[in-house]
Amino acid sequence: MKLTPIFSRRTLLGGVAALIVLACSSPLFAQEEPQRGGTLVMASTQKPRHLNAAVQSGIATAVPAAQIFATLLRYGEDFTPQPYLAESWEFSPDNKVLTLKLRQGATFHDGKPITSEDVIWSLNVVKDNHPFSSMLEPVEAFEAPDPQTVVIRMKTPHPAILLALSSALTPILPKHVFDDGQDIKSNPKNNLPVGSGPFKVTKFEPGQYIVLERYDGFFLEGKPYLDSIVIRQYQDANSAVLAMESGEAQLYPLLDSTRLIRRLEKAQGMGLTDKGYAGIGPINWLAFNTKNPALSDVRVRQAIGYAIDRNFVTKALHAGLSKPAIEPVVESSPFFTEDVARYDFDLDKAKALLTEAGYGDGGKKLELQIDYIPDIEEQQRAVAEYVKAALAKIGITVSVRASPDFPTWAQRISNYDFDMTMDQVFNWGDPVIGVNRTYLCSNIREGIIWSNTQQYCNENVDKLLNEAGVEADQARRKDLYAQAFKQITDDIPIHYINEVPYHTVYNQAVQNPPISIWGPMGPMDEVWLKQ
Amino acid sequence: MTAQARTSVPAARGPMAEAWDIFRRSPAAMLGLLLLTLVVLMTFAGPFLYHVDPFEIVWAPLSPPGDDPTIPLGTDNLGRDILAGLIAGGRATLAVGFAAALITMVIGVVIGAYAGFYGGWVDDLLMRVTEFFQVLPPLLFAMVVVTLFQPTLMNVALAIGIVSWPQTARLTRAEFRRIRTLEYVSAMRAIGAGDGNIIWRVILPNALPPLIVSATLTIGMAILFEAGLSFLGLSDPNVMSWGLMIGSGREYLLDAWWVVTLPGVMIFLTVLGVSLVGDGLNDAFNPRLRER
Repeated sequence: MKLTPIFSRRTLLGGVAALIVLACSSPLFAQEEPQRGGTLVMASTQKPRHLNAAVQSGIATAVPAAQIFATLLRYGEDFTPQPYLAESWEFSPDNKVLTLKLRQGATFHDGKPITSEDVIWSLNVVKDNHPFSSMLEPVEAFEAPDPQTVVIRMKTPHPAILLALSSALTPILPKHVFDDGQDIKSNPKNNLPVGSGPFKVTKFEPGQYIVLERYDGFFLEGKPYLDSIVIRQYQDANSAVLAMESGEAQLYPLLDSTRLIRRLEKAQGMGLTDKGYAGIGPINWLAFNTKNPALSDVRVRQAIGYAIDRNFVTKALHAGLSKPAIEPVVESSPFFTEDVARYDFDLDKAKALLTEAGYGDGGKKLELQIDYIPDIEEQQRAVAEYVKAALAKIGITVSVRASPDFPTWAQRISNYDFDMTMDQVFNWGDPVIGVNRTYLCSNIREGIIWSNTQQYCNENVDKLLNEAGVEADQARRKDLYAQAFKQITDDIPIHYINEVPYHTVYNQAVQNPPISIWGPMGPMDEVWLKQ
Repeated sequence: MTAQARTSVPAARGPMAEAWDIFRRSPAAMLGLLLLTLVVLMTFAGPFLYHVDPFEIVWAPLSPPGDDPTIPLGTDNLGRDILAGLIAGGRATLAVGFAAALITMVIGVVIGAYAGFYGGWVDDLLMRVTEFFQVLPPLLFAMVVVTLFQPTLMNVALAIGIVSWPQTARLTRAEFRRIRTLEYVSAMRAIGAGDGNIIWRVILPNALPPLIVSATLTIGMAILFEAGLSFLGLSDPNVMSWGLMIGSGREYLLDAWWVVTLPGVMIFLTVLGVSLVGDGLNDAFNPRLRER
């Protein structure tokens, strides 16, 4: 954009300037004619078990699934839905019926047409099997009045439906392939599924690589630009970054090590962006077991909140690359509000609250344990160790408990065998999908990780969250969430620390790197390689 | 029984004094002793001279040594004082080393003693058990033990002890097999001494010298083991140890060399000291080398 004046000068100064412009500024123009062909190697440390995102949540499956399967809608860089497999859609006046028109001539990778029958069958599979049950929970019926029309009838208005129909959350599967009487969750076809998206999967070696090849019959004319995408799996972020530096891989999303990000910033020929993660909305937080005798007192939790310096975490531990988090949603969410209890670092307040609660100076001795998700060094372990040091300053003795692996940690937390734990939880675009689960009284479900493991229950919060979930008017919805977040932060079942500093690293040859709200979990049909 | 034998020896110098004489004359052994003494002094007297909590955040993270005169060796990735960590960590590391060596000796000597003394099916049984433990890769086995239980300092010492006793057992067995055929053992048997008496009061004292050497070397090995486990993230996060410092600092090796290098140097010096002392003891106790 900055170069537009040069353009105008070119017309004035003629040929010489034109040569200079062509020589030195070409990579900076976004609107260049895309080149076709080439293989993009994407580095990943995520290891999917299978590729059917209709029955499996999580980034590992979502990234390849967004290439293999089309969804009804898609998103760009903001939270405005765009047409994808559906070319248009509209709500009924009471917001309870959503009618979508499908694109003409769209086909699955086996050449059979994508019809409304396939769409409603897929949506039912998601409704019955996907772990995010709240996505389609208010839906009464999916109907297919004609092959190009899908009607979704809901019990109540359900504004989150548009987001739920996008990206890797509700992939459209071929009914004629998958409807074979087998349990969809363990169907062997989930490994090499016949899809509907820009790329078809031709090889999948679990733990090693996934080969995706251009589907020539893709319903968007002329796309995708790439011939193929190879998702290569690496043991850890270090080896993935080495692969980027050696040119073995050209794209590496979801890098959260600030040390490696800082190193890549100095690397030649490499681009870095923190865009593409608004949809995931990843928050690193400290969760309290509110049934712990000491932590059941809100003053103790507030004292802990005041004793933790978010700036130390974001500036010193994360090299200035992570942003402080202050509430249940990330700053880029449309529902973000400034008006919450922030608990900015204040040791005097912390000590006063602790004394009031009967601990601290002259009171009872407080000893607590902190857990953390293993193998996430900077975001989890380092912060847990910092919490230990920070709480020592207000007289709380914290012991750090290490878990040998993720299942051990998840088992401890989901069975309430903890005092405090560091955790990382994703917003998943809409509060109904990724936020409610942490706070609703009805979601205190023993044994399930990332449910309301804090066992926090406030009926007022439940009422606000449930009302907001069925509020079709965006401004009123935002206001209801603001009230809920205010109440939640006052009650502080969770102390929000920082947003996970996910970055996407790309070789400069990669054009249009994935920076929509879903980032790498969105279709990469517009990515192209500059030869 | 031995009281009479002792009074009849005219020389004032016992075998221990003789061994010390040989030990003293070896510069390498004395260097080892000096290193060990310094490390022990630092870890035990240090807290009185330099009182900083090793877990307290005192300064900006990753400040290099000498950046601030009050923090002579710089800070780690959380801004904790490295010197305080080295002092506190030394205690934990030495404690793990000694505890692991003790566990190794107890298990190894008991099993080796019975196997060597009785021979026959007892020997067969105990040696098969020993071999079973011997063929397990020690680091992997220790990782499994620490993972199954909590990674506390005691469990780490226990894990190291459990994986390193077979060598001691084999050594003990060999010594017992040799000594049990000697005449003084037969003499004890002739005057009616029980098995327990012979094993623990007659043979064991005579088998001790090589076992002491082996125990010393085990301490060094245990310290390295603890560092190795910590490097893999399997150390007690609530007790500052050199291994923990290396384990949590390894990510920063390229940006801040001192975080990992300084505890690494301490481990190197300590293990070097222990090994030199062990070699010195070996020379001092080994009769064949006494005429050197």
